[in-house]
Amino acid sequence: MKTNRHRLDKIYLSLISFISLFGVVILVLVFAYIFNKGTRLLSWNLIVGDYYPEVYNARSDGVIGENMFVRPENLSENAWFSAKWGIALEDNADFEGKNYIKVVYIDKNSPLANMPDKNDTNHMVGLKKGHSLDKVIFTNNVIVLSREGAQNAILLFDEAEGIADIIFSKPGNGIRGSLITTGYLILFTLIIALPLGIFTAIYLNEFANPGRWYVKWLRRLVETLTGVPSIIYGLFGAALFIPFISSITSSEGGNILTGALTLSVMVLPIVISATEDALKAIPDDFRHASLALGANRSQTTFKIVLRAAIPGILSGVLLSIGRIIGESAALIYAVGTAIKDKIILTEKSTSLSVFIWSVMSGENPNFELAASVAIIIMIFVLLLNLGIKIISSKFIFKHN
Amino acid sequence: MPNVIEIKNLTFKYKDKIALHNIDIAFPARQVTALIGPSGCGKSTLLRCLNRMNDLIEQTAISGEITYEGKDIYDRYYDVIELRTKIGMVFQKPNPFPMSIFDNVAYGPRCQGVKEKKKLQEIVKKALLDAALYEEVKDRLKESAMSLSGGQQQRLCIARAIAMNPQVILMDEPTSALDPIATAKIEELISDLKTSYTIIIVTHNMQQAARISDFTAFFLMGNLVEYGETDQIFSKPLQPKTEEYITGRFG
Amino acid sequence: MPRLLLIPAIISASFVILIIMFVIQKGASPFLFSRYGDQKVSFIRFMMGQTWFIPPNEYGILYIVINTVYVVSLAAIISSPIAIFSGLFIAKIVPKIFKNLFQTVVELLAAIPSIIYGVFGLGVITKFVVRIASLGGIQTAGGISGMATVLVLAVMIYPTITLMSVTAINTVDHDLEKASLALGATKIQTLFKVTLASAKPGIITGIVLGLGRALGEATAVSMVAGNAGSGPVFDLFKTTRTLTSTMLLGFKETSGLDYDIRFSVGVVLIFIIIAFNILLGHFKKKAGRFA
Repeated sequence: MKTNRHRLDKIYLSLISFISLFGVVILVLVFAYIFNKGTRLLSWNLIVGDYYPEVYNARSDGVIGENMFVRPENLSENAWFSAKWGIALEDNADFEGKNYIKVVYIDKNSPLANMPDKNDTNHMVGLKKGHSLDKVIFTNNVIVLSREGAQNAILLFDEAEGIADIIFSKPGNGIRGSLITTGYLILFTLIIALPLGIFTAIYLNEFANPGRWYVKWLRRLVETLTGVPSIIYGLFGAALFIPFISSITSSEGGNILTGALTLSVMVLPIVISATEDALKAIPDDFRHASLALGANRSQTTFKIVLRAAIPGILSGVLLSIGRIIGESAALIYAVGTAIKDKIILTEKSTSLSVFIWSVMSGENPNFELAASVAIIIMIFVLLLNLGIKIISSKFIFKHN
Repeated sequence: MPNVIEIKNLTFKYKDKIALHNIDIAFPARQVTALIGPSGCGKSTLLRCLNRMNDLIEQTAISGEITYEGKDIYDRYYDVIELRTKIGMVFQKPNPFPMSIFDNVAYGPRCQGVKEKKKLQEIVKKALLDAALYEEVKDRLKESAMSLSGGQQQRLCIARAIAMNPQVILMDEPTSALDPIATAKIEELISDLKTSYTIIIVTHNMQQAARISDFTAFFLMGNLVEYGETDQIFSKPLQPKTEEYITGRFG
Repeated sequence: MPRLLLIPAIISASFVILIIMFVIQKGASPFLFSRYGDQKVSFIRFMMGQTWFIPPNEYGILYIVINTVYVVSLAAIISSPIAIFSGLFIAKIVPKIFKNLFQTVVELLAAIPSIIYGVFGLGVITKFVVRIASLGGIQTAGGISGMATVLVLAVMIYPTITLMSVTAINTVDHDLEKASLALGATKIQTLFKVTLASAKPGIITGIVLGLGRALGEATAVSMVAGNAGSGPVFDLFKTTRTLTSTMLLGFKETSGLDYDIRFSVGVVLIFIIIAFNILLGHFKKKAGRFA
């Protein structure tokens, strides 16, 4: 004899289970979206390339013989090859879907690999693999434009006798500068926040008398930092650190150093609480054993306790790195949003997250580029989380 | 004296360990039966088999038969929730819910669908009276149950069980967390309750078993060593192991 | 040695005070001085205003505060029940082998940076809003709207509340649940009446943390909220404007009145967060009265 309640119970349980799939659905959607949008632009060039495209303008005086060059075997089927000029071209589309002609091969003896720069004839420039061919005017006054396609261009190249004017460019949208900036931010933030945070945690956990009024206040103030929104950290960095760094260096406005100072305040509570958790997990027997051997409290703390706390501190470091990589709002204020290719510590530049903000907040948000950078950020986030899981399952003392 | 619960050939395994081995025992109605024995002898496991609380533990296996009112409670179609309304339980540590005193006692009936306020008030008052707690708490039924003393909390838990109007009340060392005065009150209460309820109590305290129970079962390493009237068990036990235990030579 | 270690501890603790001091000092300046040749900004009109900017120097923020509280509350109302159910599911319902999987999913959601939620919001959630709106024949600004803001925030605070709920539910004394089952309550009755009731203080802490995250969330919100010049805006299909989106949108110059007034908005945000914490701390005490 089973009552109706059993059936109701089952219905409610399945309902709760169904609702709980929300998190899974969101995670799948987020990943599906950024991978769907972002994988096309994901390439080595994205990672090592400059953000700003570089445009070259040259002419070629080279005299060309027929069929001097041989088509290399590893060229793809979509590539059009000119035996006369030793180049292969392919149709490609940029993130906005606009067609352009991409150079996929160039022979090192091709006249196009070595041409005088129109703006400075003593300077030689060359077409390279990966460049975009924008416009060519041949000596017979025939013009090739990028949008007319690779096949047409090769046809005209083969007919032509010489090149009066050629415009080509190294494509931009690379994130090398932002990667370097992110690295600098992580480095300098940790250099500032780690000692400060670790010493604070040691004081609070090992030396402070928890009953004292000022210790209670210290702890309360440190804990309050956790709840401060990142944009407020940004305002703070802009109000305190920008004038401060400007007064001791020649910098104007936000820069990597002001960013690192701001971020170090932001990750301070993370470092402190990770270190404190690690210290708390160390059994008192450890301390007593060291003290019983005649070591004083400072020796015990720095030689025994701190060493045992290293895995915990490391997981605090990983958490902090995750926060730094993901941070955007604070850096928009404390550093700025100008993407740079040449990174100088006392000048503006963007971390990966602010890079996304910059390419998304213009007139035409660049979803594809944003999504491919998002993929890179997510890979970092996943690796960091994995690291934290491994550390916490392997090294940290388990509470009884 | 009819038996309320009968156990035949019960074997209970947890993981690969046998916790209860071939137990045969029957509990007579409106009597107090004490289950005694050293820690880990299986007495609490047996108690939790009776209202199927062991269902909550994974990796357990049970064989044999437990019948309540002639029906096998481990039958696939037996309604375990119905069973637990008939067989109440009081735990080792007082565990009132974090609600008011009133809501604690009304909890069971409400779960059974009693909504009428008047009826609930009646049930609560009667249960508290039966549990000898009413006089102490009648002016603060809306206060948190956490504000009561340990002994009062345990009597509240008894009242909570009584409110369901069960036939059997299982008690798992109900006084082990209480001071002697609170213990005395609970013991007194148990003697009063046996006129209306069948009580099965697990206890570590031999004197307590001798004082309050009518029947005593002695367990050792998962086996039922001896079962009989309390007077007989404590004055002239049949088994030498029983004598050794009650005279304090081990355990 | 302990004396020496007091120095880093004092530095760490002083940052909260420094943050409040410096942001207030900069945020108060538009009302106290006229640095940029204009008149001072009226503080009263700033606090009571229904329009963000009337040139040359009149700013109003009241409607933005109302918008902020409105979208944040809606996000919490949507997210909290789902998150609490998920917490219950992970802690009590899901079979043990999947427990870690679901927990990890939520932890990953918590680790996704807000800029990525912003890209997701602009790329997916706004499109979803456009579709919903078109069902009712409503035009939206490409989905940039109060509803998109609410949904993005709901998604972002979901892991916060869920993880806190799991922790709170895991600490509930098993004896209480056993007592409930022993009284003939079903699993659902036990979960709702005993488990959730006992975990209430922890769950409310989770909601407070979620609200804090939602109030302070800037990047993702500013990407989907829009730029409503006046309000308050209660129509979820219209563009809105929150405190944080005001601070970020159109941020170019790093001096001038338009820059300084953003710090004033920040000061208002700080006070709202402090007020929220005091209010909910009080509420939590009440809720935890029986625990």
